[in-house]
Amino acid sequence: MIYQNKMSADRKAKFSAIKHHPYFGFVIITFLMLIVQLLRVSGLDIPVALLRAFGYTMIYIIIALGFSVLLGYGGMASLGTAGFVGIGTYVVGYFTNQHEMSIFLIIIITILGAIIIGAIVGFISLRIEGMYLAIITLGLSEILNEVFKNATTITNGTNGLSLDGIVLFNDAIQVNHNTIFIAIAVIMLFMMIITLNLMKSPTGRALLAMRNSQSAAQALGVSIFKYRLLAFITSTVYALLGGVMYMTYIGFSIPSSWSLAFSLNILAAVIVGGAQSIYGIVLGTFMIFGLNLAVLQQIPLFVQNPAISVVFNGLLIIAVIMFYPGGLIRLIGSIGHQIKLKTQQWKKKRRAYIYGDDPE
Amino acid sequence: MATILNKVKLWYLEKRLTSHEIKLDFNKNYLPIKKKEIDEKYNNKCVMMNLKMKNDLLSYDISLGIKSEFLAQEFETENKHIEHKYHWKKRALVQTLKRKNISAGEELGKLENEKNDLLEEIKSKFYPKSLDETEKEGLEVKYQEIKNSYLEKKNLSTNNYSTKLEKFVSKTDEVIKNYETKIVAIKKQLQTLEVKVDNGILEDGELLRLDHLSMNFGGLKAVDDLSFSVKEGEIFGLIGPNGAGKTTVFNCITRFYKPTFGEMHFKNKLNDITDLNGIVVHNIIKEGIARTFQNVEMIWELNILENLLVAGHTEYRSGFFGHLFNSRLLRQEEVVMKMKAQKILEDLDLFQYAYQYPMGLPYGTLKKIELARTLMVNPNLIILDEPAAGLNDAETEALVKTIRKIRDDYKTTIFLVEHDMTLVMEICDTVCAISFGKKLAIGTPKEIQSSKVVREAYLGGE
Repeated sequence: MIYQNKMSADRKAKFSAIKHHPYFGFVIITFLMLIVQLLRVSGLDIPVALLRAFGYTMIYIIIALGFSVLLGYGGMASLGTAGFVGIGTYVVGYFTNQHEMSIFLIIIITILGAIIIGAIVGFISLRIEGMYLAIITLGLSEILNEVFKNATTITNGTNGLSLDGIVLFNDAIQVNHNTIFIAIAVIMLFMMIITLNLMKSPTGRALLAMRNSQSAAQALGVSIFKYRLLAFITSTVYALLGGVMYMTYIGFSIPSSWSLAFSLNILAAVIVGGAQSIYGIVLGTFMIFGLNLAVLQQIPLFVQNPAISVVFNGLLIIAVIMFYPGGLIRLIGSIGHQIKLKTQQWKKKRRAYIYGDDPE
Repeated sequence: MATILNKVKLWYLEKRLTSHEIKLDFNKNYLPIKKKEIDEKYNNKCVMMNLKMKNDLLSYDISLGIKSEFLAQEFETENKHIEHKYHWKKRALVQTLKRKNISAGEELGKLENEKNDLLEEIKSKFYPKSLDETEKEGLEVKYQEIKNSYLEKKNLSTNNYSTKLEKFVSKTDEVIKNYETKIVAIKKQLQTLEVKVDNGILEDGELLRLDHLSMNFGGLKAVDDLSFSVKEGEIFGLIGPNGAGKTTVFNCITRFYKPTFGEMHFKNKLNDITDLNGIVVHNIIKEGIARTFQNVEMIWELNILENLLVAGHTEYRSGFFGHLFNSRLLRQEEVVMKMKAQKILEDLDLFQYAYQYPMGLPYGTLKKIELARTLMVNPNLIILDEPAAGLNDAETEALVKTIRKIRDDYKTTIFLVEHDMTLVMEICDTVCAISFGKKLAIGTPKEIQSSKVVREAYLGGE
């Protein structure tokens, strides 16, 4: 009996070491996202809409992660996300449909392109701050949208561009949706880990310093030029990669989906969840996109009147910003704290009851 | 042509020298930390092994009747456990019986009997009856075998540990020696190369010198033809009435403003004379000038230790991709920098705040933390912009002590702007008084106090 107890303590220590590893939560999130897919693979009849909802959510999480580096750490608000995601989708569509290029090569091309675009926008942002930056990026996004509509040879205009099939190495293959879903999940896990590393590293700290006070940051040796460019490039790379994944998973891209509404939704997701916590971003994205797609669309009331879900989202955003400006993740944190306090009090009372004065 | 080539070579060699010195410093700092880590690992392993051995030998211990401490402890805990359990049961029983108005005698007796039975059972488990001679011998042989195997394992691991430690120490020693020899060689080369740098600008013992500094904002002359010099190792105070242009001078030195006219020369970390006019704002800290601000500029989302680490930002060698993938170099550097920050916090009696967030801390403490932050880069010159602003008398006194301590322990020069005359007169070695951007007087605090011009500037003339 004693022997077994001791050994289990050893095992417990090992498990707690795994449990407290900073990446453990991300693996759990990825697994939760994969559950529906795994059920479908195992033969259960799960509606495609639900499956798509999880796919969308994961792609939007990746985009929101990049946005949080820009907003939560760099302190710069951009409304150009939609345009960048759109570029990602059309790059995939153009190169696979017309040049039959390998998807891996396309990803490399998009990353290089994103670095260039991000550098240009970052360079513009050096002289502009706050609201004006948001307006300028919004203008940029609208310009891109017009380009998507009118460059018909590449984007097929307002009819939308559909993907013929993904080229892995040589031939066009109709890759199974299930495998793409799993690949997206793995990429999301990778992105989460990378973002956490970046946030906890000296670069993340330098970005935070810049956000708090530019002059103080400069006095501490932080180059504003370098870090603004870095923040913009990082977020652009994330957005374009999100676009690539969107095109490979959904297979269809239309200019009207890359409008201001999309950028605003990403902004809302980051703010509702909490701009400086990865769990917060996951939560916020799920609230803004996933909840609507996966849960509300299954309820008949919301299916009949799609406008209600928009109202619901708006109310949610107002409530969060009024009562929890730090994001929903703060709310959860404070609830956890309260529960901890209550259990401690209860334990104290119980102990006093057991070891206290005997009523006899 | 030859001079240009020489200059390029000089620049290259200096760059290499600094990088080598940083690497040497890093290795020297990392050695004791890594040693400690290896030690800790070994100790933990030993403890675990002992525990496992005890667990494996426990059943033999019991049957052979060996009374080890471990066993006694286990026995006691088991006993306690049962006592508690029955205490609970008894209380519950008494209460229910009271409610039903039944006398408790019989039921309680039953409970007592149960408890005693259990206790005896456990006693028999821990202290069983004696065995036959043959059985005992067999058990003893097995017992010894297990014990010996564990001892062998332990010996092996100790050998491993010592070889590992030796390997690591010898390796890092080699690296350190390598860098030292490299540095010596580069220094020799530099000596032969050294084109006479204009040392004439700074006199002996001077650290910073301003010549005819002027700064105009439109038609307003904030600083007008100001020149003075700061000596090494002193506390230099700049005073003046409101709007005299003290902060403008600071901002010129730290390159937040570009002076309209005038030269500034500074002896940097490498004992080179640099022209401050040619340096960008964010590189000023690399030359060895660290500053604080009038209102504290903290990073509110980070705790105090991380706030210090931000100041050490320029000392990291790992790049962006290293940060993305949490590279080994970054992890090592973080450990070294954290140790450095902890040491500074301990020196200034701030260690209790290390893991707190700056929001809600008292203003005086925040000022002190800002001071600590400047020390992260081993600066030559610390510039304090009104360190006593907003502090009460007790806090100001503490500040005087810490400023002196920093000057003595970290061997830096301190240059401060202040309104609090008692602080300035108490602490400064040299004081420079300015008014409307012009120099009035420079000298020891006593000389300034007795100066007529200064009095007029503060209190007004007749």
